[in-house]
Amino acid sequence: MNKILNIFLTFILTAFFATSTFAATKVVWWMESSADTDPTVQEMMCDAFNAEQDEVELECVFKEDINDTIRPALLSGSGPDMFDTPGASYIKIYQDAGLVKSMQEYADQYGWQDKLLGWAYNSGVFDGELYSIPKNYETMIYFYNKTLFEENGWSTPNNLEEVESLAAKIKAKGMNVYAYGSAGWQPTHEHLVGNYFNTYAGPDNVYKALIGEKKWTDPEFVEAIELLRKHMVDEGYWSGDLETYYSLDWDDFNNEFATRGSAMLMIGTWGFNVTATNFGESSDDWDWNPLPILNSQAGSAPNYQLATGGTMSINAASKNADGAAKVIDWILSDKARALKVTGSLGYGAWLLPLKYTDADFDPNIDPRQKRFLTEFAEASDSGNYGYTTWTFYPNDPGVHIWKDMEVVWAGDITPLEFMEESQRLWDQARADDALVPVGKR
Amino acid sequence: MPKFLTSINAISWYFLFPVIFIHFFVVMFPSVLSLLLCLTDWNGFGRINYVGLENFQELFRDRVFKKAVKHNIIWTVMFLTIPVIVALIIAYLLTGIKRGQLFYRLVYFFPYILASIVNCLIWRYIFHPRHGLGGWFENQGIDFLAKSPFAMKETALYAVAWVDMWHFWGFLVIIYLTGMYQVDDSLYEAADIEGATKFQKFRYITLPMIRPIFVLSLIIIIIWSVPTFDYVYILTMGGPAYSSEVVANHLYSQAFQRMNVGYASTIGVMMFFYVGIIVGFFAILRRMGWEV
Repeated sequence: MNKILNIFLTFILTAFFATSTFAATKVVWWMESSADTDPTVQEMMCDAFNAEQDEVELECVFKEDINDTIRPALLSGSGPDMFDTPGASYIKIYQDAGLVKSMQEYADQYGWQDKLLGWAYNSGVFDGELYSIPKNYETMIYFYNKTLFEENGWSTPNNLEEVESLAAKIKAKGMNVYAYGSAGWQPTHEHLVGNYFNTYAGPDNVYKALIGEKKWTDPEFVEAIELLRKHMVDEGYWSGDLETYYSLDWDDFNNEFATRGSAMLMIGTWGFNVTATNFGESSDDWDWNPLPILNSQAGSAPNYQLATGGTMSINAASKNADGAAKVIDWILSDKARALKVTGSLGYGAWLLPLKYTDADFDPNIDPRQKRFLTEFAEASDSGNYGYTTWTFYPNDPGVHIWKDMEVVWAGDITPLEFMEESQRLWDQARADDALVPVGKR
Repeated sequence: MPKFLTSINAISWYFLFPVIFIHFFVVMFPSVLSLLLCLTDWNGFGRINYVGLENFQELFRDRVFKKAVKHNIIWTVMFLTIPVIVALIIAYLLTGIKRGQLFYRLVYFFPYILASIVNCLIWRYIFHPRHGLGGWFENQGIDFLAKSPFAMKETALYAVAWVDMWHFWGFLVIIYLTGMYQVDDSLYEAADIEGATKFQKFRYITLPMIRPIFVLSLIIIIIWSVPTFDYVYILTMGGPAYSSEVVANHLYSQAFQRMNVGYASTIGVMMFFYVGIIVGFFAILRRMGWEV
């Protein structure tokens, strides 16, 4: 009887220790949910990672409004091992509160700095250490209806004079100049403000203002806002008039662009997917261009504004940080795989800021998309880039940009008053040490 | 066991304890914490610095807060008049309907059971400049509702209030109707013998007899108007240009968009005091012998 009992206990103990020793480390990752992309991300990232190795078991959990969800989890000292945030300004707050783990040792160990585009890596460095990595990068461009332009003999504009001349011709045809609207996302206004800052005041001046070497009340910024006000309110460039711009959501303006209601669509590169889809149902063809330069002080060549769309980080309270770092390294290690994933998502999500070369691209990639990826990489590598408000602004000045721009458009305050408030909030953010990293230009 | 532990009073407290316990941790404790946070510059995550009454000073300089308070007052006045008058009239008329009354009650109450997001989407679609009423009128060559009232700063607040009132007034119909059914029929019979008109019966019998329910509805409206948020947030987010911003919306923006949690707590404290004053006002009326 004792012998049987000994065998039984030995078996149980062996099974227990074997399970403990060889079980994969479990890493839980809370990701921003998007119904369109979640299944693909689950299959091509999470499941693929688990299938390729057995050291770490990755569980991806998709959450709506990730920032509202992660905040209480982190504050309570629990939460997942890895998490997404909407952008670097949130990471700054988490880092100040000690809620996010420094990934510097992993960055050094795995060589992440060499894998990522320089500006993208720097966007996650706070106080000299890496705390976040962008999941996606984007910039502002404009799409145009190529067929319509060819039919009317219009040329794509390169400067302010050409923009205004083309706008007059488009309006004369009974169409709107640009399709756009803010009903689906009020911060849409900041896209336009960023465009005018970077193409009128210029990226060098924006950079100086970001690091405090210039005032936001300087004439070039005030003039940029005045020009935007004129184009929005007086000229009705976006969807015909200000009120219609306030009323159209994403589906509305994308549809308007694809059905010749507007000749152009000034939007972020997340618009590639929906533009290609919508034009696929029409006989018209589309193409894109970088934003025209509206003032000589913004340089002569087009600039691409840098933007990260979401970041990934490791929870300071994670007990599996090493496993989480392995997940991140797996994601960053294969450029062809990364391009395949983002390609499956129409390049609108998971476009990791890696140093892609021609050899990494699928031969079937849409040449217009490929042109963006290569031109953006070249321009940003050569320092010809600008700055989006949602990546480089701290919270309070960032919200001010899109909330109070409506007040300028309403005529309740002047562009100068708007920029004075902006400067006040920047001074406050600087005094509170709430700035996000910009990276030396 | 001591007798007081098994007395009826003690047993009542045993049953109340779980609710009191939950109420303390879910309502009271965060409320007290909020009172303390309004004296800090907390951003919701990190260090908490004591700033004294700085947030209150800032509050009285805050042009958006002032605008929001004004909008809340307009909002309250609108809700105290339009839906109340309409609901009183409809409820009174419904009392005269013997067949099919349930159908009308269902129809009027239906918007109240719909989620606010559904109500908002319905009205946003109706007022949509392209495929709503405006688009339809445009096709008929009529320039009407060409621009959404939610998108114009002159009309945004009233348009949002309209949608909320459309959802709310059916609730008032039901509670007024309930009150009207409590009125003794003999009073109306006596009035009929005296030759009273329908309006006179409403003015001198119905209205005085439903006064407790009527006053309760006014208190509910005033108190519910203070934290009004969802319709504004969904339809306009307080825009355009803060033209429909209300206090709760401003609080949300400060706490969760600008990450000024300390300042947002100050706004919350002001809302708390405002509600306290309203409740206190009605308590005083009651002590003075008013039937409220």
